[in-house]
Amino acid sequence: MTTRLAPAGHVDRPNNVAIGTIIWLASELMFFAALFAMYFTLRSVNPEIWAVDTSLLNVPFATVNTTILVLSSVTCQMGVFAAERGDVKNLRKWFIITFIMGAIFIGGQVTEYTELVHEGLTMSSSPYGSVFYLTTGFHGLHVTGGLIAFLFVLARTYVAKRFTHEQATSAIVVSYYWHFVDVVWIALFATIYLVK
Amino acid sequence: MKESGYIWGLGTIFFAIVSVVYGVWSKDWAGTTALAFTGFMTALVAFYSLYTAKRLDNRPEDDQLAGQDEADPDYGFFSPHSWWPLPLGFSAMLIALGLIFATWLMLVGIIFLMLSTIGLVFEYYRRDFAH
Repeated sequence: MTTRLAPAGHVDRPNNVAIGTIIWLASELMFFAALFAMYFTLRSVNPEIWAVDTSLLNVPFATVNTTILVLSSVTCQMGVFAAERGDVKNLRKWFIITFIMGAIFIGGQVTEYTELVHEGLTMSSSPYGSVFYLTTGFHGLHVTGGLIAFLFVLARTYVAKRFTHEQATSAIVVSYYWHFVDVVWIALFATIYLVK
Repeated sequence: MKESGYIWGLGTIFFAIVSVVYGVWSKDWAGTTALAFTGFMTALVAFYSLYTAKRLDNRPEDDQLAGQDEADPDYGFFSPHSWWPLPLGFSAMLIALGLIFATWLMLVGIIFLMLSTIGLVFEYYRRDFAH
């Protein structure tokens, strides 16, 4: 722990980019709070709709998909450890693996949406459909944004002549975001697929 | 750093208690969720502060014997000026208009958004400013 580099630049001051990211993630958390509040409120006034519509969910499939996303957080962290050592080759390797796992998650989600639409659950079919697609959809958009961020971090390591502190910082803050999105998904998964 | 973490931690304890009391009493899901998530938010900042405090030495402001010059560290890189926020804002406008009027406009907006994000992210990685 102690031999690792600080996120960037000076040793005795927290990195500004990291602090900014954490503050922004705190506000993102409140965005998802609104989505959860919407879900719980509609659920409490429409218990009969929930009883019918939640039976359409494919829980085993979603569980596998969730596992992939959770494991991608691990590979992402391996990339960060590499970045902190200044080991750009391993950073690239782990971030590419993370990107692929995230992309599989999104692909799985699209597959799931297609199945649900075929079974008649759409955005406008019922209050359950609305909140299901809004909560998981906004989360999916966040994951997609994270995937694009991974591409930018990777591209930066290829464009620049050498691996700088600034690039390590980018890798670290993207990992913060990825872990955040992952934790939000665990909460969403527990709420939507387990508690129902 | 540690002190900041503890202060945010106090917020977590406060919101944990308040959301339980409020939830049991009011049975209002929206308010309870908002209070609980405010607690999560403070927990996030508390965790970050305490985690960072562990990894860094004391900041000059936490050191009784610190000199003036120590509080003048390298703050990092800041863009002196950039045109890219303008197309970024323009793309956001196109996407918002697309949501109201037409899907194709939204797609155009997304393409512009991607291009201007690339411009912003790589502004200091190309040509004159490359580092």
